[in-house]
Amino acid sequence: MGALTRAERLVAAAAPIRSRVAWAIAGFGAVAVGACVTAPLVGSTPISLTRAWDPSLPFASNVDAQIFFVARLPRVLSAALVGSALAAAGVVFQALLRNPLATPFTLGVSAGAALGAMLAITAGATLVIGPVGTVPLASFLGSLAAVAVVYLLASARHRGFSTNVMLLAGVTLNSFFSALILFLQFFADMTQTMRTVRWLMGDLDVASYGPILAAVPLVLIASVAFAWLARALNLLAIGPEQAEGRGVDVLRAQRVAFVSASLATGAAVSLGGPIGFVGIVVPHLVRLLVGSDHRVLLPAASLFGATFLIGCDLVSRTVMAPLELPVGIVTAVIGGPFFLWLLITRGAGGATR
Amino acid sequence: MKRLFHDVFFCCVVALATMIAAEPPSSARRIVSLVPAVTEMLFAVGAGPQVVGVSSFDREPVQVAALPRVGALLDPDLERILSLRPDMVVAYGTQEDLHRQLARAGIPVFSYKHGGLAGITETIQRVGERTGHVEAANALVRDIEADLTAVRTRVASQPRPKVLLVFGRDPDSLRNVFASGGIGFLHDVLELAGGTNVLSDVRREGLQISVEQILAKRPEVVLELRAEADADLESKTRKVWRTLAAVPAVRDRRVHVMTGSEMVVPGPRIARAAERIARLLHPSVKPVRP
Amino acid sequence: MLSATEVTFSYGGAGAHERSRAAVRGASIHVGRGSVVGILGPNGSGKTTLLKLLAGVLQPATGAVELDGRNLRTFSRIALARRMAIVPQETHPAFDYTVLEMVLMGRYAHLGPFELERPDDLRIGRECLEATGTASLETRLFHTLSGGEKQRVVIASALAQATDLLLLDEPSSSLDLRYQLEVADLLRRLNRERDATLVLSTHDLNFAASICDSLLLIREGQVLAAGAPRQVLTPGHIRALYGVEADVQEHTRAGHLTVVPVRAADDGHDGDEGHRWVP
Repeated sequence: MGALTRAERLVAAAAPIRSRVAWAIAGFGAVAVGACVTAPLVGSTPISLTRAWDPSLPFASNVDAQIFFVARLPRVLSAALVGSALAAAGVVFQALLRNPLATPFTLGVSAGAALGAMLAITAGATLVIGPVGTVPLASFLGSLAAVAVVYLLASARHRGFSTNVMLLAGVTLNSFFSALILFLQFFADMTQTMRTVRWLMGDLDVASYGPILAAVPLVLIASVAFAWLARALNLLAIGPEQAEGRGVDVLRAQRVAFVSASLATGAAVSLGGPIGFVGIVVPHLVRLLVGSDHRVLLPAASLFGATFLIGCDLVSRTVMAPLELPVGIVTAVIGGPFFLWLLITRGAGGATR
Repeated sequence: MKRLFHDVFFCCVVALATMIAAEPPSSARRIVSLVPAVTEMLFAVGAGPQVVGVSSFDREPVQVAALPRVGALLDPDLERILSLRPDMVVAYGTQEDLHRQLARAGIPVFSYKHGGLAGITETIQRVGERTGHVEAANALVRDIEADLTAVRTRVASQPRPKVLLVFGRDPDSLRNVFASGGIGFLHDVLELAGGTNVLSDVRREGLQISVEQILAKRPEVVLELRAEADADLESKTRKVWRTLAAVPAVRDRRVHVMTGSEMVVPGPRIARAAERIARLLHPSVKPVRP
Repeated sequence: MLSATEVTFSYGGAGAHERSRAAVRGASIHVGRGSVVGILGPNGSGKTTLLKLLAGVLQPATGAVELDGRNLRTFSRIALARRMAIVPQETHPAFDYTVLEMVLMGRYAHLGPFELERPDDLRIGRECLEATGTASLETRLFHTLSGGEKQRVVIASALAQATDLLLLDEPSSSLDLRYQLEVADLLRRLNRERDATLVLSTHDLNFAASICDSLLLIREGQVLAAGAPRQVLTPGHIRALYGVEADVQEHTRAGHLTVVPVRAADDGHDGDEGHRWVP
């Protein structure tokens, strides 16, 4: 790892920023598009592509077409959306908290989403807005609630936005909401409990395009904010006071970073459940390849996150057919050892605080 | 010689004492039941008056409404159980802690193990033995088996449709579909009622099935089990399943919702569940008993 | 050019009952254009706080800091960054950046929100690395550098900000002797060749004496004395500031005042001017 990536990095560092951004987007983008195109072709059931794409056959009776367009394609697209949102949010949270171990779930967003989803599953009530169903809607509202609590607590001090308070609030919220979830599970019947536990492991089988389209605007808004923040994040990573001295409006940058990254995370978790490790493995891996300049890192991580999760979902739906290995388990099995390896090899000599 | 006689006599006494001590009371007078299926069985064999406490999830029969609640699988309330002074407690086999605590308190435990269809009649007989209603239990078992056999013979000559038995899913979409695998009493009932479980090769009682798998398995009938009824449940369910138009069950309008607790409780009313499923799967065959 | 008038600041919020624990109390300082001003004091004396107040990073509870006659508060962050650059005592980036990336961060105030660096920015960055003698380190990762090299890169980054005012917090404290000399040299050159106005905080008497043309002595948040080094660096002041008996001499070879600590002062003689150790 050391020699090659360092050489790559040296070359990358010397090249002007424009071409680095362009190459990162082109390279990672090509791989992501390739994944999007090939993944629906592969699955546990052999299908005939000519039949699936044959317009003369009525859709309602074309099983191959339905497998392709209803079962697989939405999965691939939601994997792409969720993967890119979580990876980018991971990058932003790591910069915001100045900690390479931060994840999109550190600040309680996914705990809020899980609580929302649990409430929806056990209450049995139905609340549908447009194409968005009860459970995704409830989990998104739950994530917003968690974000609001953390934001208010972190802004409570008269001197602006404290990342330390934010971290403590997030960790506390995680514990508190987890306890509430266990409490709710007491009152749930077996099927409801199984469904909640299953939701917590991540599931990208959306089976329709509505929820994806509903999540797209949120992720898009967050992405625009990320692009605006990219350079400020570089300076924030050096230190908030230094960033202030360089001209960064640190308070505004921190607020925008927190809200936009939480928005992306909330949308992603509502769509596919709290899929772990994407938000920490992908940023680290991409950082090894392209360096820490967020203007290159953010687009590259987004695109690689999409590819990564498409790949994990492919494994999840083929490796144990007809049973499905929850995608959160696949990302953990791949991500966990990778992360341990990272810690061992990087160890003390690596990103310092 | 006198020595040998003493030894043999001593052994006999010990053996007799052991046998007496090991045998549980032939009829329990104060029963607490944590298992709704067994509660139903207790009332069905005539041991209803002996029941002094039930679980939080008990609904049937109506007499349980007046009885005190002592918790359930995850949260059995030992204090409340003990305060009712039971001489038998019906608990799940997996509630090991509770077993130990009750053993320490000297209260016999009726350990319930969840099994297939055969397990139901077996449990009813055990219930009869432990509560002193052996005759009633045997009679009940005979009736149930007769009903089940009637269903089985009625549909024996019918073609067996491929069925997907759904326990639960997200309320407004086809996400998180939980279905029955090839094990368990519902699977057994389905097979008895003349259907073939599309997931019979999966050796699990319940599993989550993806949309692609549903399309690939091509069930001809989809049965959704619900504990409680809901306004226009049928039409809502059909609307949700319409996204998978190529599934034969959807195409032929054979997606059905079944509500009622007899569908999910492996108890004395299981024959009724079998009857209902048989009627849905084979609407053309007239039932022998109305 | 840059002045602070009767500024007070407390960490943890201002309040009358906190006045006794204020980090800076009623301090005033004036920095003239083109001068090198040193804020001198022991650890915890409030010199870093005063520097941050001057930089606008902290807001004073009372009093005002003005740049060219305008209160700092009236400047936007970016406008201020184009006038003043701050070099902190230590820099610990959370991630790995190359030296070139670090120096280019100084260009933030000169680029629009979505703009990327132009060839001009790259040139300025490289020139600043040249000026601090770190041009050869361009492709190295920042965290692999030595303390002195890191500090010089950070100074280069501040230079890239193209400001006329440079504030440095303890620029010599984490450096060994050789680098101290190099940094002192560098700062002198910057002041002479680029007409940079420098404000630095330090507890190192000799370092301050070697480059500053104006000194401010600060102790427990209050200004003890201010003026030219000759007037301010007296044994009496040094005793009052550090509790140390010291010898102050004009060193011909070094070309500036040097201070040699002799022994710890007896207690109870704080601020006592008529001591027999006056040279």
